[in-house]
Amino acid sequence: MDVPALEVSGVSKDFGRIIALRSVTFAVQSGEFVSVLGRNGAGKTTLLNVISGISRPSDGSVKLFGTDPNDRVNKAQLAVISHEMFLYGNLTALENLEYYSRIYNVPDAKNRIDTVLQDVELKHRRFDLVATYSRGMTQRLTIARALLHEPKLLLLDEPFTGLDQHAIGMLITLLKKQKEMGRTILLTTHDLHTAAILSDRYLVISKHKIVRDGWMKNSSPDEIRAAFFSAEAGENDS
Amino acid sequence: MMQTAIAILKKDLRMEFRSKESILAMWIFSLLIFVIFNFTFEVSRLVMLEIAPGLLWVAFVFSGMFGLNQSFSLEKENGNLRAMALMPVDGGQIYVGKFLSVTIIMLMFEALIFPIFIIFYDLQLSLGMFKLVPVLLAGTIGFTSLGTILSAVAVHTRNQQILLSLLLWPLVSPIIIWSVTLTGMILSNQVTEAFYPLLLRVGAFDVIFFTLSYMLFDFVLED
Ligand SMILES: Nc1ncnc2c1ncn2[C@@H]1O[C@H](COP(=O)(O)OP(=O)(O)O)[C@@H](O)[C@H]1O
Ligand SMILES: [Mg+2]
Repeated sequence: MDVPALEVSGVSKDFGRIIALRSVTFAVQSGEFVSVLGRNGAGKTTLLNVISGISRPSDGSVKLFGTDPNDRVNKAQLAVISHEMFLYGNLTALENLEYYSRIYNVPDAKNRIDTVLQDVELKHRRFDLVATYSRGMTQRLTIARALLHEPKLLLLDEPFTGLDQHAIGMLITLLKKQKEMGRTILLTTHDLHTAAILSDRYLVISKHKIVRDGWMKNSSPDEIRAAFFSAEAGENDS
Repeated sequence: MMQTAIAILKKDLRMEFRSKESILAMWIFSLLIFVIFNFTFEVSRLVMLEIAPGLLWVAFVFSGMFGLNQSFSLEKENGNLRAMALMPVDGGQIYVGKFLSVTIIMLMFEALIFPIFIIFYDLQLSLGMFKLVPVLLAGTIGFTSLGTILSAVAVHTRNQQILLSLLLWPLVSPIIIWSVTLTGMILSNQVTEAFYPLLLRVGAFDVIFFTLSYMLFDFVLED
């Protein structure tokens, strides 16, 4: 079998006395779409941070395509979408994208920028300062920015938060397209419905551990819901 | 290879020219320092000449602190520092980009405030003053090369400005003191043979600070 796109082995992470992850282990093959489910504070964001190499695990290891997340080759094919915009308010959308395309060495940048702007329906606003954008527009531009360099591995931390129904539909379409192109996608959410529409597989994190790892097609919506909510119920005891 | 550094530099300068926030604030701040010192202390012209070089560098350094804070607050705002940590580039490249933008903005401010300084302290313009160019360059680069990496360290903390001051002052003070001495020699028209060795020493510190920061910047970007 090919080397997995992502391999998380026995990863724990604590912040002083606060535990965020407890010996988390799983692997994701190239082209898989995985939803990470869990309530607030379960450790989803920490997990993504450890995977992207931003945060060092206290224990265990992470491998992207067989090597360290901080290897430059891995960083070049990684995209992170989080609540942080990674954009400059005092630059226009176009200037922001030009800046990132230079840093990510995007070939034929002009056309690529055009494409991603069209994908998120912001082309008509490309000359406006990002500071003048609404929250939803900013989030859409964040998505465009992340897809600019055609990353092979996408980490999305609750990407639907702050989007209206139309924009949610747009992002779902975009993500489906990414999946068709063979990209590996890991998405955290507490929205079971979208997770079920999009992903092949789901992980439920509760109390900083993976309590369930299953395939969407083998699980009924009720089963997934039960796994999620029993995890939630358990959390309340702690 | 320098593509990243240049992209960061262009981005920073574009934003600065758009808002003029840093340069304007630095300029007004320095103007205030000059005004206060000029009108609160009734000293003779001779004494004024004595303290003018120090005053000039006080203005530069305080304004420079403001510029540094501004430059890194901008990166912190939307998680852009994290975006930098995720970039597939050498941390040194990012350092060079930030260093260049901070330095250029500070030098531009110095060029704009210097005429005011001349007027306030009624100094004679002379050809000898061109010697100030390498002094201002060397002193400023020493300040910004250290300031850039220390700002990146401090920006992670809650008391960003306090920490930056605490870290930066002790390390940068030799450079500032030497720069004041050099500036004093020029302004009082008493450039002795000690001038060039001292200038060289500032330059040597610049090289050391820059090289160390360049190598260490990767670690600074991590959480
Ligand atoms: N930088 C940090 N410092 C201290 N505690 C943190 C930090 N980041 C996360 N935590 C803690 O780790 C736990 C998991 O947080 P997080 O990964 O953000 O959860 P989720 O994204 O699932 O809501 C929480 O208890 C949170 O308070
Ligand atoms: Mg989270």
